[in-house]
Formats: sequence, structure tokens, C-alpha cells
Amino acid sequence: MGERLSGGGVPGRRRGSDGALSDPRNERDAATLETVLAAALRTGDLDPQAEQRAVAAFRASHGEGTHRAARTRRRDDWRRPEERRARRPVKMTFGVVFASLTLGGVAVAAIGSVSTSTHAGGADRGTTHPSALAPDRPGGAPSSASSLGSRPTDGPAHAKDTEAHCRAYERVQGHGKALDAKVWKQLVAAAGGKAEVAAYCSEQLTRATATPGRSAGTGRSGEGAADAGNGAAGKTGASGSNTGGTGNTAGKTRAGGGQGGGKHK
Amino acid sequence: MGQVRQPGRAQARDGELGAAVARAQDGDEAAFAIAYRIVQPGLLGYLRGIVGDDAEDVASDAWLEIARDFGRFKGDGAGFRGWTATIARHRALDHLRRQRVRPRAGGTEQDVLDLPGAHSTHEQALESLSTERALELVRGLPRDQAEAVLLRVVVGLDGPAAARVLGKRPGAVRTAAHRGLKRLARQLGIGGEAEEGVTDGAYRTLGQST
Repeated sequence: MGERLSGGGVPGRRRGSDGALSDPRNERDAATLETVLAAALRTGDLDPQAEQRAVAAFRASHGEGTHRAARTRRRDDWRRPEERRARRPVKMTFGVVFASLTLGGVAVAAIGSVSTSTHAGGADRGTTHPSALAPDRPGGAPSSASSLGSRPTDGPAHAKDTEAHCRAYERVQGHGKALDAKVWKQLVAAAGGKAEVAAYCSEQLTRATATPGRSAGTGRSGEGAADAGNGAAGKTGASGSNTGGTGNTAGKTRAGGGQGGGKHK
Repeated sequence: MGQVRQPGRAQARDGELGAAVARAQDGDEAAFAIAYRIVQPGLLGYLRGIVGDDAEDVASDAWLEIARDFGRFKGDGAGFRGWTATIARHRALDHLRRQRVRPRAGGTEQDVLDLPGAHSTHEQALESLSTERALELVRGLPRDQAEAVLLRVVVGLDGPAAARVLGKRPGAVRTAAHRGLKRLARQLGIGGEAEEGVTDGAYRTLGQST
């Protein structure tokens, strides 16, 4: 057996190598040795019965469905490294994406839950705010409006009074005690002195005529105050719904994260 | 020099083997038989180098396991050689454990070393290299060298695959195969004997220390 195979391969390899003690000859020798060894040890005659047994075992395993159910262990994976590497990035990418999605989802969920809890408070605040304001509004809005805009509410009334006093002052100017002493005192107090009353009144009257809307609106100062109160309430209501809106978006984001995580599972 | 060449015969059919394996994984029995016929000679040669005359029995056991776990295998023809060699090796080691037999039951090294002198030329030594003689020589090697030579030359595995079968680093397996082949060449009277004679002792010491 060995003779036959080496007879086929060895002389061809060895031809022309005689006498040369060089590396090529050593390499040829090494190659020759391997060829001869392989030929001598890889005996060709196989036992047909052994093959039949192997095939029968294969048939049995395949028939039982063992092959399809079998999981590839690490020691069963003999794909080339580049092939395995080519697949691993896909797996790893999936893993990384999945992990980031999961962690991100958890983070978003955590943020969402925190923010929804705060926003739930905020939303509560947002919802309770107008309702807290609403009972306030009948009595409270004017009070708050008056407290906030005591000058606007008080102002028009006061300005109206001052205006009237000034007109009266103009009319009665120089005529002694035509003005009520009390009103006169108020006017003097507002002007900051008897000497200032004329200047103060001319200023007041000029302003009153320059802004007729205001002077016209002074007649409905109460309504204006109510409007102001409504405006304030509307504004806070809007901000309340705004915070509610952010709460909603946070909830949506969390739901989205949850869906994302669920999808990628 | 240190590179162990692959015998063309062992690897030439890797493409055919890969195709047969792929078909067999779809349930083709004939394809499995083809794969068997391609792989079995190398496997038997390897097993003979480890367990001697029990190689056929061990191979039979190995093939039962190969057939059973065939669905788990992933890879091409070369991969199938490595996978089957790993299974065969485990069966062989089990066999040796059961028998409590030293894997190297062959002739003493001195006998082996004396014999090549009988041949006057390389050609004579090589042409007359029978299976028995080749086995005797290989089994006279230190175990790691014998296995490395057998896996690379007889089974036809490349360095990384042989290393994986043996559970060693590729460098260690390459070195072992190189030393084993050097030693076999010396014993068969191949190569510069005068040069090798100088380093003979050193080689043997190294070979035994590994």
C-alpha cells in the first residue's frame, strides 16, 4: 500500500533533488515524509459493515428528529472564524441594540414614571389649580385681582374721583368753599400740596382725555376686573393643561419604550 | 521550514465532503455515507496512532456519536474533519482510560532509532514504509508530537483545527508537529543526518520536556 502510493508521488518529488543539501531539498523531504506517512497511515480498505452501522445510526437519529431538535454547542460549531465573525457582529449588534433598547426602555420608563409621578402631581396641581382658582374666582379673583391690581381697580375709581374733583376744582376755582372740604383735602393730599393741586389736576385731566377708552372703561371697572380675573384663571388653566400635556407625553414616551422593548423581545 | 504541509489527498476532497455534509444535514443517507468514506481513512489512521489495534472499535463508537450529534454540527468539509476528529479523540481517550493502557504501547525509542540504518537510501526507506512501520514510528513519538503529526498529516487538519481538537494553542501544536516530523525524518534517514545528529540530543530533551 505504502509502496504503491509513494511510488506514485515520491519519485516525482524527489527527482533532481539529489546532492543538494539546501532548504528546498529539506522542504521536499518534509513534503515527501508527510506524503508517505499519510499514504501509509490512511489505509483505504474500509469495513463496509462499519459504514452500514454508521449510516443506520444516522438514519435512526434523523428519523427520531434528533438532528433537527439538536442545539449546536460551542464544540459543534466548526465554521471558519471569519464566517463566525461575520455572523457574530449581527448577533452582537442585535444584542447591543436589544440591550440598549431594554436599558433605554427601562431608563425611559423610570424617567417616565418619575416624571409622570411628578407630573401627576403637576397635573393634579394643574387640574386643582383652576378648580382651586375657580372657587376663588367669585370672591377670590376680585380679591386677587384687587390685591394684584389694586391700582388698576382702585386706580380708575380713584382717577375718576380725582377727575371729578379736578373738574369741580376747575369750575369752582377761585370761588372759595365750593369744594367739599373732605374732597378738597383728598385732592390736596393726592396732589401733594395745595400749590400742586392745579398742576396735578391739569395732568390728571390731560391723561383722562388722552385715554378716553380708559376713561370709558372706568365705568365698567368691575367687569374689567372680572375680565382680568378670567384672564388670569384662563392662563393658569392653560398652563395647567400644558403640564397635563407634558404628563401625557411622558406617559406616551413610556408606553412607546415599553412597546419598543416588547417588540424587540 | 516549520510549516507542516498538508497532504493533497486529505484536503482535496474538502469541497466534496462539505457538499456531502450539507446534503446529509437535510437527511440524505447516501450523502452521509459519502462523508463517512471521505473521513474514515484519516480518522482510522489517527486512531491507530493512539489506540493501535482497537482503532476500528473506537472508530465505530465515534461514528455512532457522530451520527447521533450530526444535527448539532455547523461547518464545512474541513470543519467536519475537525469535529469528527474531536469526537474520535474523546472516544479514544475514554477507551484508553478504560483499558488503563498507556497510549504509547509501541516499540521502544531505541528500537525505532536503530532501524533506519538498515536502509541505504532515502528511497528505500520511504518506499518500504509499510503501515505497520509508519505506525510504529509515529507511536514511538512523544504523545503530543504523535497526535499533532497524525492530525495534521493523516487527518488533514490545518494548524488551528488541530489545535482545537487537542485543546492547545496553535503555536504549541505547530511546534509539536514540527518536532515530530523532524524526528520521523531522522529515523527514516531523510534530511541532513550529519546536521541533525548534532542537535539530536537537544531535540530529544526538548521533545521529552514538552
